[in-house]
Amino acid sequence: MGERFSAPRALLRGIPITVWMLCLVAVPLGYTFLISFFQVEGLQIAAKFTLKNYRLFFTDPMYSGILLKSMLLALAIALLAILAGYPLAYMLSFRVRRGKQALFMLSIIPLWVSYLVRIIAWRTILGNKGVINSALTSLGLIQEPLSFLLYNRFAIAVTLTYICIPFVFIPVYTSLEKIPRNIMEASSDLGAGELRTFFNVVLPLSLPGLVTGFIFAFIIALGDYIIPQQLGGTQGIMFGNLIWSQFGFAFNWPFGAALSFILLAISVTILGLTSRFGSTEGGFLSE
Amino acid sequence: MAEENAIELRGVKKAWGDVVAVQSFDVEIRKGEFFSLLGPSGCGKTTTLRMIAGLEEPTEGQILLEGHDVVRVPPYRRNVHTVFQDYALFPHMTVNKNIWFPLKMRGISLSDAGQRIDRVLRLVNMEGYERRLPQQLSGGQRQRIALARSLVDEPAALLLDEPLGALDFKLRGAMQKVLKDIQRNVGITFIYVTHDQTEALTMSDRIAVMKSGRVHQIGTPDEIYSRPATAFVASFIGEMNFLHGRRLQAQGEMPQAEVGGHRFRASRSTITGTPGSGDEVLVCIRTERVQVNSHRGTDHEVEGTVRRIVYRGTDYELTCDLAGQEVRAVVSAVDWNPELRVGTQARLGFNAADITFFPQAEEKEIVQYTTEAV
Repeated sequence: MGERFSAPRALLRGIPITVWMLCLVAVPLGYTFLISFFQVEGLQIAAKFTLKNYRLFFTDPMYSGILLKSMLLALAIALLAILAGYPLAYMLSFRVRRGKQALFMLSIIPLWVSYLVRIIAWRTILGNKGVINSALTSLGLIQEPLSFLLYNRFAIAVTLTYICIPFVFIPVYTSLEKIPRNIMEASSDLGAGELRTFFNVVLPLSLPGLVTGFIFAFIIALGDYIIPQQLGGTQGIMFGNLIWSQFGFAFNWPFGAALSFILLAISVTILGLTSRFGSTEGGFLSE
Repeated sequence: MAEENAIELRGVKKAWGDVVAVQSFDVEIRKGEFFSLLGPSGCGKTTTLRMIAGLEEPTEGQILLEGHDVVRVPPYRRNVHTVFQDYALFPHMTVNKNIWFPLKMRGISLSDAGQRIDRVLRLVNMEGYERRLPQQLSGGQRQRIALARSLVDEPAALLLDEPLGALDFKLRGAMQKVLKDIQRNVGITFIYVTHDQTEALTMSDRIAVMKSGRVHQIGTPDEIYSRPATAFVASFIGEMNFLHGRRLQAQGEMPQAEVGGHRFRASRSTITGTPGSGDEVLVCIRTERVQVNSHRGTDHEVEGTVRRIVYRGTDYELTCDLAGQEVRAVVSAVDWNPELRVGTQARLGFNAADITFFPQAEEKEIVQYTTEAV
């Protein structure tokens, strides 16, 4: 009896989420996709179908050059964030006994601080009269302020890595916490020291969290345009800035939309390639 | 001679702050012995096992593995393996890779390990499961794989921490036989932690009975059962009557006590020092040693009123009133006389050989499973 009524009821229950998805995801995305095939005439977007926007991206090496540069930088940032976030999660999960909860909160508290405030903070640290330079100057180690710290790709990498660390830390920590402790004891008992326990047991079992953290960091870094704009200087133009400028002062929404879709396609591809590692629990490493 | 011992504990103690988990444990465990640590939860048996494995460090004392002190040696360099209660198989590795693990840690490749893996799989009767993942196995199968993994590199001893605790009753019985057979076949020393007295009695060569961190007795199953060292051991293993009595003058070699106006002689007494007459004592006799309306002559015979009769399949448990104290007797169903009913009088026979006196002070350590306790 329940069977007969469950189908329409399930349909009813699905309505809110469907409406939500339609309004906030499908419609805007569909509209953006649509105008990526339009063109600009004067200051008007004309609904005339063209492949010109995509053709421009694939023919002018400047655009693909910036994309490649952005992807490499995002990759480096994601790896740096893992190098910083994974050990942090490992220490907190396995070494800290007291105050674990408090330390966890401390590790994710940067997420509560305004994005812009954190960017400005890094400018104060890296700037010519910033924390690092004035410290080094007053110690007499340098005469002139170090100029490679700010307004270049180094500054972007440092700041975005910092932004991404909590996004790596949280999923990695969660997956480390899920590893039963007696499995690690069994590993030690069966002849593996800490290093070999790490590579044979802990790392494979935390891979889902690691992959999730990597995806987060990579996609955040690839799409960001505020940090390059604020801290990147002249060499700091990234793919995100390119898109932003098309919607902003260039007023070429169709081209901006096309660039957005190229970025989206890349992100979805990466997500698709890596999510099979991220989603399955445990079993993926065996043949 | 020390080489004869697989494991030796000398004054091993473990404390966390003021909490003493294990106090001064001394034992020598022979090669190939099946040695059980038996006791209620919190008695320190698992802590002792973990100290031997190296997963806990003793506060004091020495642990000798094949004659060498290993207190400072990390678990991964000790030639013993633990079988954990919930198996602790690596969930991301197949059965094959799980068993290969200890060999891999010794630098043996998977192809070189093949024969040894096959051999232990045969030993635990799990051939054909090589490519399964642990989550595709039942509890009993996981247990056997955990066992195989611990046996594959032939350690000096296997430490088993309530390995059958998570299995259901019937499977547990079957696994007990499997374990015992394997132990006999491979000849490896087993140290077996359990709270199940039947398991300990049926499988072990020797048993250490523990309570609150203290070792009460170390002995063969027969010694533990027939000659318990303390009232706790007597109460924890098997079914025992504890009667309150008063000490009388010894008659020759045999100590005597009086219970409700009846005089009992005991073959054993653990009361030390010179007891004065009139001291309180615990008079103990196993429930199955109490003869009911028997034609065989016994040393002491008393009348008791039947208070309760419980049918238990193979036998009846009879509870009688003896001058205000309860005496339980187990009568085989074959010998059962249906004329015995609640309220009738029963003739209870006791032999001095079956009676032990314990100091009254030990009464607080007795584990009570009588209906009053429920």
